[in-house]
Amino acid sequence: MSDFLFNHLLDDAHQCPIIVNGVACQVPEQLSVAAALLYLGHLANRQHPVSGELRGSYCHAGFCFECLVAIDGQANKRACLTQITPNMSINTALAGVN
Amino acid sequence: MAQIYDYLVIGAGPAGMAAAIETSNAGLSVLVLDQASSAGGQIYRNLGHADKQQTSVLGSNYGAGKPLLECFMAANCDYQSSVQVWHIETHTKGFLVAAIVAGETKSFLTSHLLLAHGAMERPMAITGWHKPGVLTAGAGQILLKSSALMPKEVVLVGSGPLLLLLAQQYRVAGVAIKAILDTTPKSNYWYAIPWLVAGLTNPMELFKGLWLTLVQRIKIPYISGVSHLEVMGDEQVSGVKYTVSDRVYNIDCKLVMLHQGIIAQTQMAQMLRCAMVWNERQQCWQIKADVMGYTSIPGVQVAGDGGSIGGALLAQIEGRVAGMGRVFNTPVVSPWHKKWVYSWLRFRVKQLRWARGLVDRLYRPAEWLSKPADQTIVCRCEQVNAKTIRSIVNSGCAGVNQLKRFTRAGMGACQGRQCGLNLSHLVAQTQQRPMAEVEPLSVRPPLSPINLGQLAKSLRL
Repeated sequence: MSDFLFNHLLDDAHQCPIIVNGVACQVPEQLSVAAALLYLGHLANRQHPVSGELRGSYCHAGFCFECLVAIDGQANKRACLTQITPNMSINTALAGVN
Repeated sequence: MAQIYDYLVIGAGPAGMAAAIETSNAGLSVLVLDQASSAGGQIYRNLGHADKQQTSVLGSNYGAGKPLLECFMAANCDYQSSVQVWHIETHTKGFLVAAIVAGETKSFLTSHLLLAHGAMERPMAITGWHKPGVLTAGAGQILLKSSALMPKEVVLVGSGPLLLLLAQQYRVAGVAIKAILDTTPKSNYWYAIPWLVAGLTNPMELFKGLWLTLVQRIKIPYISGVSHLEVMGDEQVSGVKYTVSDRVYNIDCKLVMLHQGIIAQTQMAQMLRCAMVWNERQQCWQIKADVMGYTSIPGVQVAGDGGSIGGALLAQIEGRVAGMGRVFNTPVVSPWHKKWVYSWLRFRVKQLRWARGLVDRLYRPAEWLSKPADQTIVCRCEQVNAKTIRSIVNSGCAGVNQLKRFTRAGMGACQGRQCGLNLSHLVAQTQQRPMAEVEPLSVRPPLSPINLGQLAKSLRL
């Protein structure tokens, strides 16, 4: 699932290296983790604990708790409220990924 | 012993910033706690760091926050960003506010508290709204403001000024908007006509609003009178199904943004046991407050969209009034100030609230949207559908709080923020009771999840 559905507005944005599910990637600076995942084509970031259905970030404002991912080893962090930092390690909570 | 602040403001949006400026200028010790990484609230999000290209896309109302933001940054108050408030309680010294700051638990004491935490988007429970690829229009705007990110192609669905503003911003930024599916009931336009008089008292905004509405209708495929929405797709979104005049249509897309207005956040006030009222005009619960923002709990005020929805300008004025209210009976406020400035601001609050009535009536959410289909997931966190909720309510459930115990709806990580209002609607409809009689979900600590280590440390001040 990596359709690139989002664009960055600025052509000359500085890039920041991050690691998503063990893969090194470059994304524009100043993204939230949730925005970085969308930019890289990850619409879904976790599976629902009851139904196993895929879920993705929804409100980007800290209300809905849909964007929970593991950031630098800490599980269940809200990706929308966390800014990316160089070499940050992000793990989505999808089966077969971790 | 921890410092006891004279005034603790939660939220650094227009209301919080204005109140902090007012009270710190009067010599009070003020602390502002904000969830975001920079001040500005949702409306002026990231304004301090936004690129020129971003501000030009976002429009003049965004840039208008600059003077307030600069004044706030220069004010003599303590300000902490990226703070997650998880608990508030009354304390012998006033109020205790517990929060997570940079992963650590911190507690703050204050004699007076201002809730300026703003609003959230009204949850739009349509079938398939939980699928990856469905975002809110607010999310779309946040992505643009703080991350300069925009979709390549999107379908906008719903009703309300924010949806039209986002359409305008996306159009300027070069996003392909496949369609706007407008759910505003046609009868709303008739009901809104008498409110035009109110809207005319704020002519600039009325003109801007009319222009915004007309331009999108001309430049974007605009489909009005939409009902029976359904987001299609297996694992992720593949399209939207909708009905216009009894005919069913499909539109293919991978990204959908939903919006149907905003509602006040009430969690913190409910935790403090402030009295709530059902606002029929704005179709949401709100914190009961007087003109100075004082709630039913002495020492607790509310200002801005967290109280009654009114937009950035009204929020800023309400913040100023609240701050003035805090220092009203001190010698800092001169009799001249009391007589003229305060009276003028109070008048503006009343006038702008009245003018807002036009927007409230025109974009009042369609009734069918509060009656989700049986298979629609109402509580996203616990995956509870409308059928389950209806059957429990039918079997004699007393209200939303009992419903929560039977079904787990409202018990998940978002703590009922995304389902609470719709649960109340379902109870009211099924038991044929007015909304004002159905009480909202109760709120319990923590307001947001914290880990055990943080909880254990929280008792130390």
